[in-house]
Amino acid sequence: MLLTIILGIILIVLGLWGMLSQKNIIKIIIGFSIMDTGIHLLILSIGYIKDRTAPIMNQAVQSAGQVIDPVPSALVLTAIVIGLAITALMLTYAVKLYEIKGSLEISDFKELKW
Amino acid sequence: MGFEPIKILYALGTIFIIFNVGMLIQGIVRKIGARVGKRYGIRFYQPYIDLIKNYVMRSNVTHGVMFYLGPVFRLTGGLGVFLFIPIIYGSQYFSNFAFAGDVVLVLYFIFFGSLGMALGAGEGGHPYSAIGVSRGLAQVTAAEIALVIAVIGVGIQYDTLSITEMVAAQQGGIANWTMVTNPLLTILAMLAFLGAMGRSPFDVVLAPQEIPIGPPTEYHSTFLGIMQTNRSIFPMAKTILFVNLFFGGATNWIVLILKIFIVYMWSVVVGVVFPRFRVDHSIRWWYKYALPLGIIAIIVTTLIAG
Amino acid sequence: MVSPIYIFIIALGIGFLLSLFDKAGRAVAMTIFYGALLAMAFISGQWLLHLLQGAEAEIITTAGFQPPFSINLKMGLLEAFFTFLINTLGFLAGIYLLPKFKSQKIYGMILFLMLIMGLNGLVMTGDMFNLFVFLEITSIATVSIIAIEKNLKSISAGFKYVIAGGIASAFYLIATIFLYRFTGVLNIAMMAETLNVASSQAVFLSVFILMIAVIVELKPFPANGWALDAYEAVDSGVVAVIASGTSAAMLFVFYKISPLLNNTLLLTAAGIGLATFTFSNLLALKQKNAKRLLGYSSIGQIGLIITAYALLVRAGYARNSEIVMLTTGGLFINHFLAKAGLFWLSGVVEKEKLEEWSTLRNNPILLFAFAVFVIALVGLPPFPGFFAKWQLVMTFANQGLFFWIGLILLGSFLEAIYLFRWLGKVLKSDLKAELKAKISQIFPILIYLLAILIGGGYLSRLINQGTSLSILYLPVLFIVFLFFIDFLPVAIKNTLVILVGSYYTYLIIPQLSGYRVMLGVIFLAGGVLLFIPGYFKRGKRTGFYPLAVMMYVGLAGLLISENTLQFFTSWELMTLGSYFLIIRGKKSEPHALSYMLFSIGGAFVMLFGFGILYYVNGNSMALSSLGNIESMAGIIYALLGIAFLTKMASIGLHIWLPGAYGEAEADVSPMLSAILSKAGMFGLLMLMAAIQTANLGSINLPYVLGWLGAITVFIGNLLAIYQEDAKRLLAYSSVGNLGYILFGLALMSHMGWLTSITYALNHFLFKALLFLAIGGVVYRVKTKNMYEMGGLIKKMPLSFVSVLIGIIALSGVPPLSGFAGKWLTYNAVLEKGWYLQGVIVIIGGLIAFLYCFRLIYAVFLGQLKDKHRQVKEAPVWFLIPQVILIGAIMLFSTYPAFILGPVGKMLNDILPENALIWENLDAYSIYGHWNGFLIMMITGGIFVIVFLWLYFLNRKAQKVKQFNIVYAAERPSRPELTHVGYNFFAHYKKALGSLSQPYVTKFWNTMADIFHSSAGFIRRIYTGDGQTYILHIIIFIVVVYFLTIGG
Repeated sequence: MLLTIILGIILIVLGLWGMLSQKNIIKIIIGFSIMDTGIHLLILSIGYIKDRTAPIMNQAVQSAGQVIDPVPSALVLTAIVIGLAITALMLTYAVKLYEIKGSLEISDFKELKW
Repeated sequence: MGFEPIKILYALGTIFIIFNVGMLIQGIVRKIGARVGKRYGIRFYQPYIDLIKNYVMRSNVTHGVMFYLGPVFRLTGGLGVFLFIPIIYGSQYFSNFAFAGDVVLVLYFIFFGSLGMALGAGEGGHPYSAIGVSRGLAQVTAAEIALVIAVIGVGIQYDTLSITEMVAAQQGGIANWTMVTNPLLTILAMLAFLGAMGRSPFDVVLAPQEIPIGPPTEYHSTFLGIMQTNRSIFPMAKTILFVNLFFGGATNWIVLILKIFIVYMWSVVVGVVFPRFRVDHSIRWWYKYALPLGIIAIIVTTLIAG
Repeated sequence: MVSPIYIFIIALGIGFLLSLFDKAGRAVAMTIFYGALLAMAFISGQWLLHLLQGAEAEIITTAGFQPPFSINLKMGLLEAFFTFLINTLGFLAGIYLLPKFKSQKIYGMILFLMLIMGLNGLVMTGDMFNLFVFLEITSIATVSIIAIEKNLKSISAGFKYVIAGGIASAFYLIATIFLYRFTGVLNIAMMAETLNVASSQAVFLSVFILMIAVIVELKPFPANGWALDAYEAVDSGVVAVIASGTSAAMLFVFYKISPLLNNTLLLTAAGIGLATFTFSNLLALKQKNAKRLLGYSSIGQIGLIITAYALLVRAGYARNSEIVMLTTGGLFINHFLAKAGLFWLSGVVEKEKLEEWSTLRNNPILLFAFAVFVIALVGLPPFPGFFAKWQLVMTFANQGLFFWIGLILLGSFLEAIYLFRWLGKVLKSDLKAELKAKISQIFPILIYLLAILIGGGYLSRLINQGTSLSILYLPVLFIVFLFFIDFLPVAIKNTLVILVGSYYTYLIIPQLSGYRVMLGVIFLAGGVLLFIPGYFKRGKRTGFYPLAVMMYVGLAGLLISENTLQFFTSWELMTLGSYFLIIRGKKSEPHALSYMLFSIGGAFVMLFGFGILYYVNGNSMALSSLGNIESMAGIIYALLGIAFLTKMASIGLHIWLPGAYGEAEADVSPMLSAILSKAGMFGLLMLMAAIQTANLGSINLPYVLGWLGAITVFIGNLLAIYQEDAKRLLAYSSVGNLGYILFGLALMSHMGWLTSITYALNHFLFKALLFLAIGGVVYRVKTKNMYEMGGLIKKMPLSFVSVLIGIIALSGVPPLSGFAGKWLTYNAVLEKGWYLQGVIVIIGGLIAFLYCFRLIYAVFLGQLKDKHRQVKEAPVWFLIPQVILIGAIMLFSTYPAFILGPVGKMLNDILPENALIWENLDAYSIYGHWNGFLIMMITGGIFVIVFLWLYFLNRKAQKVKQFNIVYAAERPSRPELTHVGYNFFAHYKKALGSLSQPYVTKFWNTMADIFHSSAGFIRRIYTGDGQTYILHIIIFIVVVYFLTIGG
């Protein structure tokens, strides 16, 4: 499905753009999430085959020829979980950073450089 | 050519002759110098009197072993240089100990006396000695540039480093002398000669005005006597070297003494006319004028030698 | 045999249960935790052993399906090796972190287990997506561990790390899915079989993104600011795992995906690696923070490994071929062990600034470990990195990849600069703090120390079929033995070294032929002789003997080397040993550094030369092939020549020498000047002997060397006269004398070489004598400034005699041996026709008189200072070798025929025209003649006669007191005011003006400034802002892509 592929890519670029343009750490994390979502959409779209159904074995599905490629769907589940974990971790960091310095501006954390 | 005991006797004989020549030339030169300066001057035999006086005097003072040995080194150096040079061409016996080495030996043995003397003077502990030595060494090494180039030049021209063979190559009349065959090199050598003689304009080492008498400040009586002995032999030895290298050498004593006198007079004439260089001036002078001249002379010599 | 799957089962199972066990007490939890780590290490170790013995690789698939329908985990030889490394690292790092685990919450241990498991997974999995999962597990575990540490730096570094890691894995995921789309499989091996990278733009782009994602995880320049911050801020125990363990796993990932890459992409990877290596090392020059410095170094090393691997594979070597394993594997092991060790040390030291690491000196073993790790990183023998780098250069050269070799060597040189600067600071900076090292911290460090030593030995056997380095094994074992007995007092060790050295000399000398005999005598017999003064030291003299012996082992190795590897290894051993000798001096830190840098630079140039030789001569490492090079001879000779000239301190490359010789210890300076400097001469002799037979084409190398030698003589001697420091004066004099040696060699004639060897022998004799005598004086009067001495002849008469003999021999005044050299110079110059050069050489020789006099006058003559009135003669251990040396000089002076005759015969093999003919004691050349014996006798005779005469006339002379001098009617009061010693040749300086300026030093200082300021400028890209780092990654990817498709 070309449309979702394009949409996925748009989301990825949007997310990256957010990460690069926003100074607020939370917004950067949101940017990351958007990018992640874009990737997931991309994965799904690549596995999608026109006019087929979800790869769930039940009465409606009799043969492999009726379903879309199941592998990407499986992968995306894992990817979503991992993405969640990473996002959670980032948010934890955001909390900690705020606790220590009372700021969420990424440019306030430049103690380490050069 | 080799060592024979009889050569020692001949060596003593040549030393005796050249010592007297040296003493007389010193007297005469001082006389000339005085006359140029509109003074009456000393008697020509005055150096003999001074020498005897110094040898007879007893002050019995020494500053230490090296101080004591300084004059010994000095005179050994002077005698050594003299004895390593073949004096009379064609005479095996008046070649003295030249069989021990060639012109390179002479060139480097010149330093033996100076170095020893400088060390002795150093132990004297007088600051003027040290200043004199510092100036003296600096100037000698600068002046040697010209000498070394001149010697190498002669070596290139005659394709040998043996003094005897250099003289041999110049036999057969004045046209064969290096002076004629290679005038540029001879000019350089004569400049080197001025440096080697330590006369004005290169006499700041012993500079009578600023520093009592340079390195020998602390030396007196017998020590000074030995140095005076050296002063009548060492310059003669160097002059003979120049005679041998550039003026055809000599086949007998009369020619030799004549040539010595004439060549020596060159330094006297320049000395009475030119004022003294300060030491940094003289070093620079050697590097600035003598060195380029030497390089040109070497190139010219290479062309001459083919 | 335990199935490898248990590695995961143990890690996951214990990980989940650990908090339960913790309820039963921390001790229980910890026992189980370490048990788990040990078990994981055991499993992989067991597999490693089995697979080494030829067992089949184990492939584990999920749920019994075969790929592509299942995920497969493979345990092959390489996987076993990597997991073994990672798991042992995990265990050791666990021990290192023990105090932390004990006091912190249980999560640390759980996360640590997850991290190690993730790394195992990265290594073992064969599935693209599974790899992604493990990547994320590793990343999450790492970042979570970082978060446990509650300080700002650590947290903000962790945040940058997670963001960058997130972006890298996002790209990885995108690439994975597209590749799945193109191939229909996720199994990497199958994907590699079916995928044709060049088939379409899209496939290419996907593979590119996959590769770049992996590479971003490997921290390429400039997209690596996040990693640097992490290296700097994260706890040492954790960062050791990141730097070594994670890098190991990621490198293995790169190895796994490499079959997907085509030549274009491999080239891109290599280019990125090289840029990373070079720039990291350049930027590290400005680094003052120890851990960040290690970070730069880590990143650089990884870059180098990527370059090596990518280029070798691109050149057609199989991915797991022996060559690839030797080079990349060697480099990797070297980095893995050394970097973990150094990061662990950073936790022991707990200091940020480089110089504060000097606290390591409180613990000799840790100091030793530090030195070993640093030296291993630089790539010096006997450590794995050295052999790997050698093999790498040879293999690259074989492929004609000279541009790459050049940049790799440049990067390595930059690395050597900051690492040796650090080492020097650690060895010499002030000790301020105590060192509190816990046993749990020391243990892992020692294990890795041992491992890196063994690894070096192992690799030395693998390389070149293991036969070539056997000549060095026994000597190196002796060095190791000396390290072990280092706690013994000096007297015992010194005696042992002298005895063993004598025996070794006795063994080696008969094996040598030709000119090597001469140098063998100087290196070995001379070496033994110069150990005698060592007895004057009290106590243990920690570290002196093994390293001094290392220098001599290197020197002896040079003589018996038959191929370039032996030669180069010996050369580096010698350099390393001498570096540690030099740095022992009180103020010698900067000088030892500059010595090391010039030496390493020279050695790398030599390595380059050997590489080209290897290429040109059809993979021959034989040194004898130097003589029949078919092409590129000029450049090979020039490169080798530069290397040897560095050691010979020719003008332009000499600035290290005065400080190094001048500041070294009293008995080390003679070793350096008299013996070590001849190593360069030996190399050059070898080179010139080869040039003699080779077709050089248009390059007239000897002519250039001749001028260089002449100028070196002049400038070296000229600068010597201005020195106030007696040892520096001698050092500059060495520069001048080495110039003569160079000049003589460059003449390329029998006479010239004879001149050169005469000078070498003479320089050995008189410079050892002078340095020993002056060393003894300095030892007594506690100053090196000559103007602060004076009049010491009365206190140290024997030293005076030594110096007197020494300077006469040096200046070339007959009757002593120096004259032989001068005489030969004149003859050789006339014969060759190099008049102008000859004149410069001879003028330089004349200038030598000035410093000779100054040395003896200002130290021994003139006025004795009040504070020196109680000074004693130099220690007897200094005087004994002096007496021997004087005897040797006298012998050489009187009977030069006995030495120069045989030397002439030795040279006949190479230069047959026998230019100097000996008739008994008379020497004849075509120009002149000279008889050392007669000169000695005549001079002696005249001297005795004149002396007797003086003594007869003046026998009652009495010594007077010091100030009894004629002094303008005043009596001087203070010796300081009466001793003319300071700025003795001021007039010479004034007269020569600009000739006396230190242009060369200025040039090298400017070079150093350019490097440092460009490093300072470039590293500003690392702003510390996390967002900038993201931008770096994006720009990096885009730029690299366009470079790839553009180039």
